[in-house]
Amino acid sequence: MVGLPARGKSFISQKIVRYLSWLSIRAKCFNVGNYRRLAGGSKPNAEFFAPDNIEGQRIREKAVQMAVEDMMNWFYEDDGVVAILDATNSTRQRRDWVLKLCRENAIEPMFLESWCDDQDLIFRNISEMKTTSPDYEGCDPDAATQVFYERIEKYVSVYQPLEEVLDKELTFVRLINVAEQVVINRIETYLESRIVFYVMNLHIKPRCIWLSRHGESVYNLEKKIGGDSHLSTRGMEYARKLPELVRESTGDANLTVWTSTLVRTGETAQFLPYKQLQWKALDELDAGVCDGMTYEEIEKEYPEDFKARDEDKYEYRYRGGESYRDVVIRLEPIIMELERQENILIITHQAVLRCIYAYFMNVPQQESPWVSIPLHTLIKLEPRAYGTKVSTVKADIPAVSTYKEKGTSKVGEPAHCTPAPTIC
Amino acid sequence: MSAILSSDDEEPDTGLDFSNSSFALGNTESTETATPPAVGNHQARTRKRWSSNSGDCRVKLKPPLADGVHTSVNGDYISPGQLYSTESGRLFHAGKILIVLVGLPATSKTLVSVSITRYTRWLGVRTNSFHVSEYRREKAAMDCIKVPLDYFSAKPTTEEGAKLRGMILRDVTDDMRKFFEEEKGQLAVYDALNIIKSERKRLAETFESLNIKVLFIESVVNDVNLLNRNVEMAANSFDYQGWSKEDAITDYVKRLKLNKSLYEEMTPEEGLSYVKYINFGEKLSVNKNYHGFLINKIVFFLMNLRDKKGCVYFARCGTSDKDKYIDDEDLNEKGIEYSKVLTDTVLEQINKRRMEQNDTPVYGENLASASSLNSLASENENPLVPTSATMKRTESLGKTNLRQYASGDGTDDDSFVVWTAPRKRTYDTAAFFLEKGIKVRQCSQLQQLHPGMVSDLSEDDIIEQFPTEYKEYMKDPYHHRFPRAESYHDLAVRIEPLLLEMERMCGDILIIGHESTLKVLYGYVVACSCHDIPSLKFIRDELIEISFGPFENKVTKIPLTVENKGERVNEPTNTRM
Repeated sequence: MVGLPARGKSFISQKIVRYLSWLSIRAKCFNVGNYRRLAGGSKPNAEFFAPDNIEGQRIREKAVQMAVEDMMNWFYEDDGVVAILDATNSTRQRRDWVLKLCRENAIEPMFLESWCDDQDLIFRNISEMKTTSPDYEGCDPDAATQVFYERIEKYVSVYQPLEEVLDKELTFVRLINVAEQVVINRIETYLESRIVFYVMNLHIKPRCIWLSRHGESVYNLEKKIGGDSHLSTRGMEYARKLPELVRESTGDANLTVWTSTLVRTGETAQFLPYKQLQWKALDELDAGVCDGMTYEEIEKEYPEDFKARDEDKYEYRYRGGESYRDVVIRLEPIIMELERQENILIITHQAVLRCIYAYFMNVPQQESPWVSIPLHTLIKLEPRAYGTKVSTVKADIPAVSTYKEKGTSKVGEPAHCTPAPTIC
Repeated sequence: MSAILSSDDEEPDTGLDFSNSSFALGNTESTETATPPAVGNHQARTRKRWSSNSGDCRVKLKPPLADGVHTSVNGDYISPGQLYSTESGRLFHAGKILIVLVGLPATSKTLVSVSITRYTRWLGVRTNSFHVSEYRREKAAMDCIKVPLDYFSAKPTTEEGAKLRGMILRDVTDDMRKFFEEEKGQLAVYDALNIIKSERKRLAETFESLNIKVLFIESVVNDVNLLNRNVEMAANSFDYQGWSKEDAITDYVKRLKLNKSLYEEMTPEEGLSYVKYINFGEKLSVNKNYHGFLINKIVFFLMNLRDKKGCVYFARCGTSDKDKYIDDEDLNEKGIEYSKVLTDTVLEQINKRRMEQNDTPVYGENLASASSLNSLASENENPLVPTSATMKRTESLGKTNLRQYASGDGTDDDSFVVWTAPRKRTYDTAAFFLEKGIKVRQCSQLQQLHPGMVSDLSEDDIIEQFPTEYKEYMKDPYHHRFPRAESYHDLAVRIEPLLLEMERMCGDILIIGHESTLKVLYGYVVACSCHDIPSLKFIRDELIEISFGPFENKVTKIPLTVENKGERVNEPTNTRM
């Protein structure tokens, strides 16, 4: 990464790691700030970052050495594929050092610079930083902002942005004011192009994503999976209550509602006073021949399938239907579009929500199909620089549970598995 | 025999015309495997992910040799990689988009517009490209007029030229509007000079007032070699049929000069949304990027698009004794012989083409004739004739001040890589390439179509054991999944990353794969619709060569024969799925 502090570098790094991991590509971020704190530079003042502060320089130098060493070890010992060196790398000298090191190890690095002169954007990043960065823990917020501005100044004096002529031999990407303008130079591998594509879809404006399953359906009551049934009476009640729940959570903010093309999500969304879009890709995991059966019926009729699915739920594909992996693949465009959008409320189905939830919360692949997402609950996701904040609101309308634990065909909510409001 | 079920069987008969089949649509008697009776399933899904009539297919038994990228698409077109469809028939909720190419002659505008059309169509976007040059040629032919030279200038100097230019541009604009308004079009690609600022402004205003987003793609070439190459390519185009090369180049350079002084390069101050595409993707800059997923996807594609000198070769893998899906068998004798013949034929083909291309460096005296090919190859311990790109790479190897090329990865003009599926049979078919030091890569995406429960069954067995499934399959062979199996559509979706990798390879690629994967890849390079793909056929006796042209891709079939005997390597045998 290249760029001054508060340009969203860590945010972008985290996002890339999350996206690649979601797609089963080994990726890891090495944040030099974390190493600096380990190396004895925790809670630094602005002077610490001055180019002529010898002690500060020594610690920062040590931190970057540690980060790079760990990074190279990770490449070799853990079969890493994409490592991100998250630091300012603001001078040409530093970048040349990284370049040399990489090439010695037969790696051609890609530099990704976030350049920004939009003062509002910078201010927002700083506001976020002072509340989430361990450097300013326990500080007075206004004082922290001041210190942070001073800290940025220390970098400005030595900062050398990537240049289209001088650096034309390097593989680099410059994001100007997030992705308003993008310069892409000498992208040579497919994976690089894919990362650039992803980053181009990101924005760092604050926004929220709300997730909800459809209201309780007739099939839910009958313990059947799949289908295209209507809402139950209680499901309708949830649909009526949803506008109020959403308003309590959003205030006056505007949002767009995305639903699947199945009847039950449309019915759930019908009272919401916002723009609505239907996506085929948000339809529930297709259970193929098991569509419309209860788990008990499936266990009886397809005992081998029932067992196979519990053993590897992520990979298991229903006869004539889909697996979780299939759903992830078809959701990819949705995730990309979601990254581009601002406030969105998604009303969809259990399996689809699990996949979306896994993406935002970094849930490992094998666990994602087992996440509990109860009916009649509104989940709010707030993407932040260092993770996503989750909170849930229960509608207080009773509904059946459709959660099925491993090794049983009975449905019912497990006590331990509700997504707790955490920062992941 | 239906093409999906049997592969090497060349009988041009029965299965596909399913109106004669005993499983014709009228036969709706249900069997045990049919949809469960309505009891307890009263609210089952009524809509399938695909409409059941999408298999209303045109019957084709052999791969079409013509590139379908210039065939207009109609409202019911479903394309191979289409992930889902929306009610409006428009993908990604991206609305309607007009892409306007901008740039001097010889900046590969046509290639870019054709490639975008091919790719977005494959993704399921209803795209047509509109080439002004095509309109002009048609008009000139129809009215029997000679087009004055100043017509080719963005600002014609004679009244005649101006009138003709105005008329043609108006026709194109009208057709594009019609495409959006009457033909459910989602993306139009407008291939013309568009080098004048005021012209661009007018276009943007006209179409934006119709609620169509406008994106400009400006192609700039300042690399002299690239420019010369483009001029040479243009001199081979339809316009110069029957001309001598020198005359054609001179004439084309005149067209270029006419416009050079008029050219107003795009700048951010113009306030338009545009992508600057420099030296064919060496550098890209995206400005005012507010357009949505589809546009980013196109930029993603442009990052991977290369002006390909090399060819893509498709070949089947060799045979093994049982040829079963489930066994990972060794090749049998015939299979080994096949792979030898394949290796020799491909290398010979590539060397022949490289000798014809004039950037081959000359080593001493011995390169003058094709007969010295072999001696040259062995001298360098490389079975391929080296080109200037090889020299460049050797020079930079291991030096920290120079860029490290991902060697053998196919980014250079002269690279040659063999892609195989991760199965022993396909991998072993490439053994002789490996022996000669050529890079062989196993790609998991090339894994053959998973046949599920119908693996290793003959068509008759399938009819007997899975009558309902078979009936469904015949209705829509592209999207149907047999129990536990993949559909062609599933295969296409998982192969997409490989398509972009294929686009970014400048050199030669040989893809050794199972028939099912070859069908899908072939479907992309020659723009087949999903109705065609399942019925394509690839036999073992033929190597398919795809060469890439700016306007269309060309398919050549090269017989794989054992030298001296003149007979084909493989007798047609009846293999199963």
